[in-house]
Amino acid sequence: MSLRLEGVKKGYPEFTIRLDLEVRPGELLTLLGPSGCGKTTSLRLVAGFLRPEAGHIRIGGQAVEGEPPHRRRIGIVFQDYALFPNLNVLDNVCFGPAVQGWERGRARTRGRELLSMVHLAGYERRRVHTLSGGERQRVALARALAPRPRLLLLDEPLSALDAKLRQSLRLEIQAVQRELAVTTVYVTHDQEEALAISDRIAVMREGRIEQLGSPEEVYRRPASLFVAGFIGQANLIPGRVLARDGRLTVLQTALGRFAAPAGGRAPAAGERRVLFFRPEAARLGRKAGNRFHGRILRREYLGSQVQAIVEAGDQRLVLSAPQGPGKEVLPAGGRVEFAVDPLACWLLPEEPASTTVG
Amino acid sequence: MPATRLRDAGGGLTLALAAVPLAFLALFFYYPLGSILAGGLTEAGGRFSLGRVARILGDPYYLRIIGFTFQQALLSTLLSVALGLPGAWLLARYEFPLKGAVRALTTVPFVLPSIIVVLGFVRFFGNNGVLNRALMQVLGLSEPPLRVLYSLQAILLAHAFYNFPIAARIVGSLWSRLPISTEEAARSLGAHGAKLFLRVTLPQLSPALLAAGALIFIFCFLSFAVVLVLGGGPRFSTLEVEVYRLAKVSLDLPAAGALALVGALLSLGFLWIYLRLASHSSFTEELSGAAGGRRLAELLARPAGVPALAYLALLALVVLAPILTVVAYSLQARSGWRAGGWSLEWYRRLAAPGGVYLGAIRNSLVFGGLTVALALPLGTLLAWWSARRRFVGAGALEAALMMPLGVSSVILGLGYLKAYQGLPWRLAGSWVAVVFAHTVVAYPFVIRAVSPVLRKLPGSLQEAARSLGAGAWQLFFRVELPLLKGALITGAAFAFGISVGEINATLMLSPPGVVTMPLAVYRLIGSYNFAGACAMGTVLMLACFLAFLAIETLGKEPRA
Repeated sequence: MSLRLEGVKKGYPEFTIRLDLEVRPGELLTLLGPSGCGKTTSLRLVAGFLRPEAGHIRIGGQAVEGEPPHRRRIGIVFQDYALFPNLNVLDNVCFGPAVQGWERGRARTRGRELLSMVHLAGYERRRVHTLSGGERQRVALARALAPRPRLLLLDEPLSALDAKLRQSLRLEIQAVQRELAVTTVYVTHDQEEALAISDRIAVMREGRIEQLGSPEEVYRRPASLFVAGFIGQANLIPGRVLARDGRLTVLQTALGRFAAPAGGRAPAAGERRVLFFRPEAARLGRKAGNRFHGRILRREYLGSQVQAIVEAGDQRLVLSAPQGPGKEVLPAGGRVEFAVDPLACWLLPEEPASTTVG
Repeated sequence: MPATRLRDAGGGLTLALAAVPLAFLALFFYYPLGSILAGGLTEAGGRFSLGRVARILGDPYYLRIIGFTFQQALLSTLLSVALGLPGAWLLARYEFPLKGAVRALTTVPFVLPSIIVVLGFVRFFGNNGVLNRALMQVLGLSEPPLRVLYSLQAILLAHAFYNFPIAARIVGSLWSRLPISTEEAARSLGAHGAKLFLRVTLPQLSPALLAAGALIFIFCFLSFAVVLVLGGGPRFSTLEVEVYRLAKVSLDLPAAGALALVGALLSLGFLWIYLRLASHSSFTEELSGAAGGRRLAELLARPAGVPALAYLALLALVVLAPILTVVAYSLQARSGWRAGGWSLEWYRRLAAPGGVYLGAIRNSLVFGGLTVALALPLGTLLAWWSARRRFVGAGALEAALMMPLGVSSVILGLGYLKAYQGLPWRLAGSWVAVVFAHTVVAYPFVIRAVSPVLRKLPGSLQEAARSLGAGAWQLFFRVELPLLKGALITGAAFAFGISVGEINATLMLSPPGVVTMPLAVYRLIGSYNFAGACAMGTVLMLACFLAFLAIETLGKEPRA
């Protein structure tokens, strides 16, 4: 079942939410953004807990913006689980089918089926308060899916859990979602989670979608400085366009001339752009491509890799390198030379983009 | 953990601190109560016997009274909870202008003396009351259309007036803490309206509903002044009223003792049930109210808004009408609604120097002050002591400390009379006994106000203070006491309000020459001087209003 938001509008004192978005059938789309960017509000608009001031919300082509939540046939997983404390695990999962008038035996079969899908077979009679956080969230997932919803909405489902559990549970959510092929909207502020789980990511800022694309697009080809800065770490070096060189554009900066592809409209000479690359794109000792040199200010050991802050001209750059056994890379205080493949770089407009890319 | 701290602070000191209040309770609560119970179980010769109790349980007259006590308490409870539930919902789930005022209104019945409720009801619902007069005028009748007073309905109505705010408060407090996401989950799964309420909300509210119900049941079971006056005779007599009648009218102390034994066992049983149920909700609890507040305007715009609006209006009417009636009537020039206009005549009479009324006002204020002076340290020490201790039987201790809630002060007064009648100095007939009885009635409310705050103080706070070099005394005076300030003010205000409004034990114990404000009101009602009663009642309400104001404005917990 597809979900379409067409010109959906909802005003708040801080900003106005304006959404145009299509979620494809069976897709897992993530709304990603900092807290207070309107992503949970967007989810609540879809669920029907809030009414849009304008626009249409279509599920499978049918407009639902006038329908109350209980008629929308949507499953929701909340951050605080929101399990019914007075019911046991199976009764929680069977709640939806029961109130929707399923025949009792069929509802219970469906409940058991989902419990085994989330690996909680045998937990049927347990009281909710005896479960761990991860178990509760799996019950919540099973409960949301039991009445065969047309859409699954997850509102920061992993935020209340610790890091290890978050990772395993997100794999489980993804597996269940794939198996049932249920169209899913997933809200999170955790960019790593979004990159790992999503088919597509919509990065939100102040009520609008700043970029919509695959995890790789959003990570490697951000549409704006905001997206580049919000997802992962970014090196950003401002400059002026010199010339075009085939598919690449050459930028003149305070640190030298660099070549990189540019998204959207080809920039004309003299326009201001910002060179962008990720810390892990830097290659130590490499001579070809966009070359940099500087002094290592600080060095952080992160286990699998080492990260360094490098002073180059008036810029501070971040680069990371795999940590080899027994060899000291990137010693603090030392000088360093590195290069970045132009294709691993990207040119961004200087002002935050307001148009959707992707 | 708090439990370990005590040992460092010196067990001897704490034991001594606990010993004084426990000794007080032993002398002025457990011993008198015990002597009543023992008196009910002995024959004339001093031999143990179940004869008296058996005679009561075999007497159809007393059985009917016990039955009626149950019946009215149960019906009053159901009515109070039913009336309180919509209020709980509005307070918990909606934001509206004057919400603070509406919430404050729910405190009013707590500090409003029962005799004022009685007076307000007589003047508002009575045959010659505001309501009937208005109806007669509007409908052109020559007879009052509503015959409410001196019936079961009058008792139920007064009890509901008194107790539905308790239900609204206790249930609303839990309701506001229920995560709104549970409701939303249910709605997204297809539940709405009645199905949503019955399947999701009501089961989650049930602890608070049961706790509120049990507490209200106890209050109604022990209700005295309301039944005494509004019941209007033996047909609608309860255990309390009958004990009072036997002790003070028939002067049959042994029979009163036996009946008191039956009554006390029953009410203590209910108290025990309440304490079991109420571990999660307390009736002095603040409504947090912040959770998921939708604007009331949104609700009122929908069709469901009409009953909500009607309910709010009814709430204001039911709570305010009897109170305003008392005030208005006290300003009548003559004892009657007719001509004469407004006048302060009755207040001038109250203020006559050397008169009994001025003495009553003075007595009430002095007793109130002394009650606060005794009940506040007593309750605080006991709360502090029981909050810090984790030992086997801590629950039993807490129940023992709360026992006065489950014993009517009529029976307490009777206990004083019985236990101390042999002393050369007549304690039982002196004003000191009145103050002691008020203290015993009031201190559980101090514990109730202080305990939750004490329990919420994080252990790390003490550890931080200790690590910075604070000793036990410094810890208490510099850290705990400032944090308890709000709760202490609440407790003090409750103690004052309870003492000033108390009539049951006062009626049993006060010597002939000593009159308090509620007693004066009672006697003025008895002599059909309603204007005088209303004037005295207004002064009494003013004293209670000050206590209420202290609770609402100063008694807030410090924000964590």
